[in-house]
Amino acid sequence: MNFEVNGAKIYYLIHTGIPVLGDLPITETLVVSWVVMLIITGLCIFLTRNLQVENISKRQAVAEMIVEAANNLVRSNTGGTKFDWLIPLVAAIFSTSIVSNLICLLGVRSPTADLSTEAAWAVIVFIIITACKIKAGGIGGYLKGFTQPIPLLTPFNILSEFSTPVSMACRHFGNILSGIVIDGLIYAALAIASSALFGLIPGAVGNVLSQIPILDVGIPAILGVYFDWFTGCMQAFIFSMLTIMYIANAAEG
Amino acid sequence: MGTQELVGIVPWTFIFQICNLFIQLWLIKKFLFKPINEVLEKRRQLTDNELKGAREAKAKAEEMKKEYETSLSSAQAEAADIVANAQKDAINKADTIVKEAEKQAAGLISRAEADIEQEKKKAINEAKDTIGGLAMDIAGKVVEKEINENDHKKLIDEFINNVGEAS
Repeated sequence: MNFEVNGAKIYYLIHTGIPVLGDLPITETLVVSWVVMLIITGLCIFLTRNLQVENISKRQAVAEMIVEAANNLVRSNTGGTKFDWLIPLVAAIFSTSIVSNLICLLGVRSPTADLSTEAAWAVIVFIIITACKIKAGGIGGYLKGFTQPIPLLTPFNILSEFSTPVSMACRHFGNILSGIVIDGLIYAALAIASSALFGLIPGAVGNVLSQIPILDVGIPAILGVYFDWFTGCMQAFIFSMLTIMYIANAAEG
Repeated sequence: MGTQELVGIVPWTFIFQICNLFIQLWLIKKFLFKPINEVLEKRRQLTDNELKGAREAKAKAEEMKKEYETSLSSAQAEAADIVANAQKDAINKADTIVKEAEKQAAGLISRAEADIEQEKKKAINEAKDTIGGLAMDIAGKVVEKEINENDHKKLIDEFINNVGEAS
């Protein structure tokens, strides 16, 4: 029995003729990303329907709770309301990440199982970090920061600067990909175990039953609690937290 | 239908995902944060206003309480004043009445005494006249002779006086 993990499927290839970028592939990543965006936006619209100042519905209470939680998370980690502009970005990253991570439970491939997605987010965060650093200390201060504490360390400082987005992207991607790989392995292993176990039953019954991966029912779901649910929520939270911390640190100079 | 490589960055996907994140950022801002923050702000204002109103009402109530207390205490003082005045008046009036009554009584007594005195005198005089007449008659009868009226009178008076002193 062969087991393999593939990259995202390419549904359609649009010929653009643009050099470097090449043809535009409509991949599973992109399609599921749009589905994720639709889900999040639909949820936002659903939650904020018919808002009241007093006597609020449960739906509105949930929406307010989410907004308050996002406000509190950002404010408590940056100390004050100076970084309120960051709240929607963190909320967008967190919600996209968590819905993307958990959508694999519906049987489609998570957009976060494609390094391009995390790289895109990490690059945005990196640009904001750099912008905050330049804003805090000026271009001179920013460049001078690389030679601290001694000029000898400049290459390492530059490396460390670029390792921030790389580590952020790879951490998230690695965790989600490992979840997919482990899930796949468990399915394959359980199918083999199932076939071997029920093959012990003699006669036609054993022949039929050994063809059905019975052990694949239920057991992967239990393991999925950790590899899909926990990792998915955790990585979304870690990515959001790191975004807040890095940007808050950068703005403080 | 092929697949892309498992680990790698596809430039187009990368660009699309950047755009997607910004679109998502805008959507989440427009559909979640803006309306909810507006509602929260409205509620905050409402509570602030209500709190302010409650504080104002409390201050007003306290002011009114003070006012009432002042007016109540002044009313009490006034009442006490009125009672005291009334008591004084009553005492005065009673005194006057008693004095007047005493005076009247004294007047009545003195008048009665005077009356009594007068009556006594009158009675004595009457008695004197009667006795005088009687004595004259008796004397006339005894002496059987007309005596000078004046001498008689003197004699009688002397006699009566002697009688009065003796009695």
